[in-house]
Amino acid sequence: VNWEFWLPLLLPASSLVTGVLIFLVREEQFRLRTTLNLLGASVKIVLVAVIVWESAQGRNFEARLDFLPGLDLVLRVDFLALLFASLSAILWLLTTVYAIGYLEDSPNRSRFFGFFSLCVTATMGIAIAGNLVTFVIFYEMLTVVTYPLVVHRGTGEALKAGRTYLLYTVFGGVLLLLGAVWLHALAGPQEFVVGGSLGELVETRRTELILVFGLLVTGLGVKAAIVPLHGWLPQSMVAPAPVSALLHAVAVVKAGAYGIVRVIYFVYGAEEAAGLGVLGPLAVMAAVTIVYGSLRALTQDDLKKRLAYSTVSQLSYITLGVAVAGSLATVGGIVHLMHQGILKITLFLCVGVITETLGVRRLSEMDGVGRRLPVTMGMFALGAFGMIGVPPMAGFVSKWYLGIGALAAGEGWVLLVLATSSLLNAAYFLPIVHVAFFRPTREEWGSRQEGGGRFEARALLLFPPVATAMLALAAGLFAGVWFSPLGLAMTAVAEIYGP
Amino acid sequence: MSGLLLAAVLLPAAVALLLIPRGGVRVLALALAPWTPLPALALALRGAEIEVTPFPWLLLGARIGLDLTGQVFLLFTALLWTAAGVYARAYLRDDPGVVRFFIFHLLTLTGNLGLLVAHDVATFYLFFAFMTFAAYPLVVYAGDSAARRAGRVYLILAVLGETMLLAGFLLAVQAGGGLDLESVAAGVAASPRQGLVAGLILGGFGVKAGALPLHVWLPLAHPVAPTPASAVLSGSMIKAGLLGWIRFLPLGEAALPGWGAVVLALGLVAAFFGVLIGVLQDDAKTALAYSSISQMGILNVGIGIGLTNPEGWSSALAATLAYATHHGLAKGALFLGVGVAAAAATAGRTARLATAAGLGFAALAVAGAPLTSGSVAKGYLKEVAALSPGAWPVLLDWLLPLTAVGTTLLMARFLSLALWPDAARAHGHLTRGLWAPWAALLVALAVVVWALPTAYELEVEPPALPYPGAVWVSIWPIVAGLLLAWLALVLRRRRAVGLVPPRVAAGDLLVPLERTAGRASRLLRTTQFPPPLTPVVDLATRWYGLYAEADHESRTRRAEHRLGLWPTAGLLLVVLALALLAALAAG
Repeated sequence: VNWEFWLPLLLPASSLVTGVLIFLVREEQFRLRTTLNLLGASVKIVLVAVIVWESAQGRNFEARLDFLPGLDLVLRVDFLALLFASLSAILWLLTTVYAIGYLEDSPNRSRFFGFFSLCVTATMGIAIAGNLVTFVIFYEMLTVVTYPLVVHRGTGEALKAGRTYLLYTVFGGVLLLLGAVWLHALAGPQEFVVGGSLGELVETRRTELILVFGLLVTGLGVKAAIVPLHGWLPQSMVAPAPVSALLHAVAVVKAGAYGIVRVIYFVYGAEEAAGLGVLGPLAVMAAVTIVYGSLRALTQDDLKKRLAYSTVSQLSYITLGVAVAGSLATVGGIVHLMHQGILKITLFLCVGVITETLGVRRLSEMDGVGRRLPVTMGMFALGAFGMIGVPPMAGFVSKWYLGIGALAAGEGWVLLVLATSSLLNAAYFLPIVHVAFFRPTREEWGSRQEGGGRFEARALLLFPPVATAMLALAAGLFAGVWFSPLGLAMTAVAEIYGP
Repeated sequence: MSGLLLAAVLLPAAVALLLIPRGGVRVLALALAPWTPLPALALALRGAEIEVTPFPWLLLGARIGLDLTGQVFLLFTALLWTAAGVYARAYLRDDPGVVRFFIFHLLTLTGNLGLLVAHDVATFYLFFAFMTFAAYPLVVYAGDSAARRAGRVYLILAVLGETMLLAGFLLAVQAGGGLDLESVAAGVAASPRQGLVAGLILGGFGVKAGALPLHVWLPLAHPVAPTPASAVLSGSMIKAGLLGWIRFLPLGEAALPGWGAVVLALGLVAAFFGVLIGVLQDDAKTALAYSSISQMGILNVGIGIGLTNPEGWSSALAATLAYATHHGLAKGALFLGVGVAAAAATAGRTARLATAAGLGFAALAVAGAPLTSGSVAKGYLKEVAALSPGAWPVLLDWLLPLTAVGTTLLMARFLSLALWPDAARAHGHLTRGLWAPWAALLVALAVVVWALPTAYELEVEPPALPYPGAVWVSIWPIVAGLLLAWLALVLRRRRAVGLVPPRVAAGDLLVPLERTAGRASRLLRTTQFPPPLTPVVDLATRWYGLYAEADHESRTRRAEHRLGLWPTAGLLLVVLALALLAALAAG
């Protein structure tokens, strides 16, 4: 068997098959559905692990299929792809476990998990897309298959949020498609190769290329929630907790940020993009987003909204890192792709536990939650410290490389953005932790023992955030190991910049 | 060996984790908890350096080792933490929060130990931040409004400090090209933004070291924590800021005369400022916190010399190490003594006399009385003061003894507060668990600084035993201070001083700042702004609201501040200082 061809295909296909099978499962067949879910997610982790190991040994994985005349569908695994793919695979398994616990006894579970699996299919496709066409196809697919998850509850508020979500993302998708088509007309099919394949065109067709870059990045910027394209994200918070965790930590928002990385380094080429003068404005927009998101997060009482604005802010670290360019800043941006994912999913899952167990949704109701749910809030605190950038949590490593990289690239102002953002992060995260642990507990919650069960919350809900928090801790503490996010990011950047 | 060192550092944190689950393990861990600094203490007492070893898989490539500076810091830090741990077991014997206290006590301890052995910037930053944040629950332990206010101010300044450090470190690493201590310090000197980088590092660590004007959290947080936590906060954690300066400023490598002068000047101002505000306090622990600000100001002298005169650094470092050890142990003993005295107040006459003797000894040591560790430390500092540039040696020669006058006054004030606690503050039983660790610390205070130069081959001569001149040099400030205190007492009794000294609440500069912010917030809320400004105004007032969460209780308590003889004494000191300065200027 030609594994170099089949493994990349199996990566999205395994979730696709799982998804289709789950649609066929009847609502009450809980065991069958759970088995399928966990089997699909586990198989994917094994696949990713195998590919990571084999890639580290120097094997290349690529699948090329005929799509249209002169236009191939390409799935190719490089280290950047592996980073995104392994992040998705791990978090997917954990979120699935969480979702099984979260949706216990609620209606339409087959529909939910079916689309859930289709989401991971699209994300895997985005991760290992080997050319712009493949990327766009999976990107649009992601837009479509997440909609049913946003509106899952079917309430008026959910439907409204769904409309906003579609409005933004379809608009973004159209711009992306427009940009891709224009680029195709200019330069032919765009393979993702380091440094891009625009060649001479960078000199001869400057204006068009700048416009195309604008279209592509605006299209991607919707999902990456760059201000002012971020409006859909806080609204989408009506979705169930696992969806928020998934959308906000991994799939949708990361697809946008990841796309920006691909466009800059693999379509245009870092030097060429810098030569076109498009990176400076992008970096400024990212910086504005970082500060704006943090400022908005400060005033949110609704916990999920506070997290959503924090996501808006944190995502732009990635954009900022790659827009500043230079190998160190790129490491910072790319590693934050992983770190922000693990940290933010921890926070969202914890908030889900709090809401499910105690019915608390707002900061003003959080007094003493930490004494009733010490493990949950402990993990939340770890995630919060990570977001602020306190070592040894993963966020520190991101901030460190972003800062060093920005200075190496001669962009000292970025340091000011990072410092401001750290202060603001502390300002909107630490009060949550303080209130939860150091204010008296409300009596109506009763004590842990009265709730029954061995743990403070349902085990299926409690275990995933503990796991992700430990991952975030390990990612920072053992950043020096080769298969840590930092290690992988460095390998990925070495592919771009040379060792 | 460095693996062992790392294990010794992480041991307290491991025991803290064992405290979390209920049951038998917890009982065992609680019994173990006070003794967890012992392996680290053993490594410090070994008297040998431990070669810096890289741990490439840890963080951004950690480097762990124990150099001379690390050994000395580790010695007094481990001693103090052990004493405080044993003391805490007795102090919190009947406290339901004892497990919570010890979890964070141990985590903070790991942070404090870890930063002493860290030899790269990321690991240092990790342990420093770990210590800072783990200490927060100790600060707010009491849970009343005073503790919450102290916690807020502590956290805000700590986060500010951490952020300054991150920015400073990044700039220094970029310029220096490596994460190890030497490269970072060299990077500070080599950076094209040298002034900024040095300022960020001075300020970032200055928060922890209680440097003016970043000290405002300290007189709030140190006293409000449980007494054993106050001891380590004011005795050893405050020194983490000092160590940060030693580690990351290019001391002995490059001269930064501008910042050096600022450090020297601010240090001297702090030395007097701490005393002046300190004598106006009516709480023993707050007075001690202000004494810490004052003493850390004196420690600035060593750093200032290192910044202005690179050749003088190795002697200045030795003096700084001796002084830090002396102050760490003495301040720890004084804080623990406050609790002992409070318990002894209800015990017999012998106990009270013994307590008075012990506290008196520690107070005399801080003031620098002959034959105490203070006289040794001050002697070293006086010697290296000659290495400072320009007119500084003359100035220091005059002002350092004068700070000792002030310290004597402050210590007299402290003793009067600690030995005669009012009814509300006299509490607890004088158990062995309370007095034994305190007594052990006093013994350590009596001997350690004398042994330091020989034990660790410091670049200073061990002091020759007292000769008449030396005795007089260290004795006159004490006599002068005591005379001042006596004079103040007499004058006050006869109501001869018509001047009313100002009231200064703990937190000094913070109080008018809070008041201004409150006024501004009220003004903003009652004023109409054009629409684009409303969200900004809203944000500002909301944030003030979050900060100010009413704490009337502590405010009224502060308003009841009695005017006593101490403000008068403080005022006299200012007059004396001004007179001497005038004489100096005229001469």
